[in-house]
Amino acid sequence: MISQIKSFGLIGLIGYAISVEVCVSAGLPAFEIVGLPDTVVKESKERVRAALKSTGFEFPNGRITINLAPANTKKEGSVYDLPIAMGILEASGQIKKGLVSEYAFFGELGLKGDVRRVYGMLPMILEAKKLGIKKVFVPHDNANEAAYVDAVSVFSAKTLREIVDHFVYEECRIEAMPINSWSDESEVSVYDFAEIKGQEAAKRAAEIAVAGGHNILLAGTPGSGKTMLAKCIPSILPKLTFEEALEITAIHSVAGELGTDGIVKSRPFCAPHHSASAVALTGGGVKALPGCVSLAHMGVLFLDELPEFKRSTLEALRQPIEDGVVSVIRANAKSVYPADFMLVAAMNPCPCGNYGSRRVECRCTSSQITRYVNKISGPLLDRIDLHIEMTEVGFDDITSNEKSEPSATIRDRVQKARNIQLERFKNDGIRTNSQMDNKHIKKYCELSTEATAIMRRALEVYNLSARAYIRTLKVARTIADLAGNAEILPIHIKEAVQYRSMDSKYWGKGY
Amino acid sequence: MKKEERYRLWLNFAVKADYNAQTKLLNLFGTAEDVFQNAKETEIKKLLGEKSAKKIEDCANEAYIDNCLRYLEKNKIKTAVVGFENYPFLLSNIDDPPYVLYYRGTLKSNIEFPLAVIGSRRCNEYTKKVAEDFSKRLCENGACIVSGMAYGIDAVAAKGALSTKSDYPTIAVLAGGVDHIYPMENEHLYYEIIERGAVVAEWLPATHPERWHFPFRNRIMSGMSKGVLVAGAGEKSGTSTTVGRALEQGRDVFVVPGRIDDYHCKGSNAMIRDGYAKPVFDIDDILSEYGMHIRTEKKPIREVQEKDFEFEELLIIKLLQSNERSIDELAIMTKYDVLKLNSVLTDLEFSGIIKQLPGRLYQISNDIEFSDF
Repeated sequence: MISQIKSFGLIGLIGYAISVEVCVSAGLPAFEIVGLPDTVVKESKERVRAALKSTGFEFPNGRITINLAPANTKKEGSVYDLPIAMGILEASGQIKKGLVSEYAFFGELGLKGDVRRVYGMLPMILEAKKLGIKKVFVPHDNANEAAYVDAVSVFSAKTLREIVDHFVYEECRIEAMPINSWSDESEVSVYDFAEIKGQEAAKRAAEIAVAGGHNILLAGTPGSGKTMLAKCIPSILPKLTFEEALEITAIHSVAGELGTDGIVKSRPFCAPHHSASAVALTGGGVKALPGCVSLAHMGVLFLDELPEFKRSTLEALRQPIEDGVVSVIRANAKSVYPADFMLVAAMNPCPCGNYGSRRVECRCTSSQITRYVNKISGPLLDRIDLHIEMTEVGFDDITSNEKSEPSATIRDRVQKARNIQLERFKNDGIRTNSQMDNKHIKKYCELSTEATAIMRRALEVYNLSARAYIRTLKVARTIADLAGNAEILPIHIKEAVQYRSMDSKYWGKGY
Repeated sequence: MKKEERYRLWLNFAVKADYNAQTKLLNLFGTAEDVFQNAKETEIKKLLGEKSAKKIEDCANEAYIDNCLRYLEKNKIKTAVVGFENYPFLLSNIDDPPYVLYYRGTLKSNIEFPLAVIGSRRCNEYTKKVAEDFSKRLCENGACIVSGMAYGIDAVAAKGALSTKSDYPTIAVLAGGVDHIYPMENEHLYYEIIERGAVVAEWLPATHPERWHFPFRNRIMSGMSKGVLVAGAGEKSGTSTTVGRALEQGRDVFVVPGRIDDYHCKGSNAMIRDGYAKPVFDIDDILSEYGMHIRTEKKPIREVQEKDFEFEELLIIKLLQSNERSIDELAIMTKYDVLKLNSVLTDLEFSGIIKQLPGRLYQISNDIEFSDF
């Protein structure tokens, strides 16, 4: 007798329907799984056998064949334990045929018959919704995540017994989970700009960077608050929409990084250690899983101690920064993951960290400093629009009780500036000023004669390159947007050039 | 080239410019020619050991000397032997003048007013400014600046001297071979100095500068000069050995005082406190020691007046006049929002009134004179 159970698999972030076909026939006892199963799926038969027996069901004697259709894609993970078990129960007549046909099943089984959590639940349920499946059975620990998808009734259970009882006994019916609703207030952020004392200039720079989606480089002596500032940045990024939250959750779910909340409620902040490899950042491994750049999608990728990163690691970032996606290709897997993040890099000004300090002596020779800052390649620097030099924090700043502006206020301004940009770029296929290319700059960054003169003077005084010029223009555009000006005024350019100050001081010539 | 000069040069090559070895041999034999003639003497072995004696014996032939001379000529390296032509007169009067100086450029025996400008390799904007300003203005008043062409003070002192129109602005004394440019960053400086002054060294060409060469180099710098000006030195710095040698040699030591809590000036300030250096505030304080006066009036590149500025700019200038300040300090003091502050700072930078330092500190530019502030 043959039974067909619906379930889902994943290719990268995209779910796809899998039909688990179970055939129990007379013959010598055997248990085969076909349809390109990986080791985890193959081992599933032992788990299923034990789970069925310990729950009190009969494991059918005879030849059992499981086919995971379509047969030509690789099946991975433990998510098929539950569908296989349900298939066997139905095929061997322990559940009445037809009862489970409108359900999709997901879940790993324990030997005692308990149903365990699996990864990648959200994208699979989203696909189920798309295919019009109305009811799904998921492990209890995944229920929260799954319940964010509307139009699908989510049933959850802790054990196999509960699931079977749901179908067999009227009085044991499990209630469908209420749909989790999303609201702006769901978002939580631990860090707030109100906590940062002093550093008005740096905070302003961060606001500009976020408003225009610009990547930034923070430089400053140890303890000047680079990390703190970086951690606060997600709190002023525009509020998460439900669609964005779902997209982020899908990535985190696939990577197995999702918490018990079921959905990512705040913009991600990903801070890999500087010993990280290129693969850790871009994604990869046998299963081509997402890396840090994708986990930071729609959030902040924070690279502390930028010059300490291996050069190859940093170079690998260039393509995702440019394209907003990263395609990870391995021998047996190929995935395209979104990687639209804001890069926040931080560095000390020199190996000992005290260059430019007025309190502690810098122990570095000028050649050491040159070597240190030159570890960051030109092409990467070119993708960073703003340089922020953090000033030393004085005792009075640390102990002051004066509350600074909270993130919420800053975020409102950022949101306004972003709205202006969305409106402006609605026909251009981009969203923020940082994404402008030369064509857009020509169109949207027109300068008055006075402003042009200032720009020309800036090129002379700071010895800016052509690339730095473009970047300064983009930042000036954002500053104008923040001020609500349709035109870029001289004052906006004058501020913008201050954010290229490190070019001449650190990467320029001179002794 | 005189005969003895030729053999002195040979001796220098034979012992690899070892000062002590040359002294011992010349004490024993009297002249370098005698050493050459008696290169097989067992006395030499006793004096310098087997290896060095063997080397001297091996190269005691005219062909070797010709080889050396050809090599020097090919590499455009000239020599000055103590007691002979072109050797700096002041240097020949110290207790231990190097026997041979290798140089590129032009070396004169009577340099009008040689003055060494020294200081730590690690320096801050203030000490750099002092070194550059003083070198430049001393040079304009006829001095020839002697420096070490290393990082920091050395480099800016030479730069200051080269920025003048003087026809013999500066001499650099290297701690390695005269053709070994170190550090490489100063390559352009090296060629500029050769063009208009001289680069000299005591060591054989192509020698790498070793740590222990520096004290030897320092004695040449002070020995060549009438006086030594310290632009700034930390507590532990090679500068103090140079000053020590200068005092032994009977040279004047001048120090530009720094802030007492500035670590870049601790050592130099201590020299003033301990009484062996004269504190100087202006080049006049140095010139008057030698009976000279400022030839040219101090002329800042630009003089500015209060009425040239907007109110916001004036406020920032006033704040910066007392001290260098960070952008955040300025933000707190002026209560301007960052947009306005940045824009005013950019204006001032554009007009060259202020400049930005690492760590987002701002400072009044060196060449600005405020007339009616």
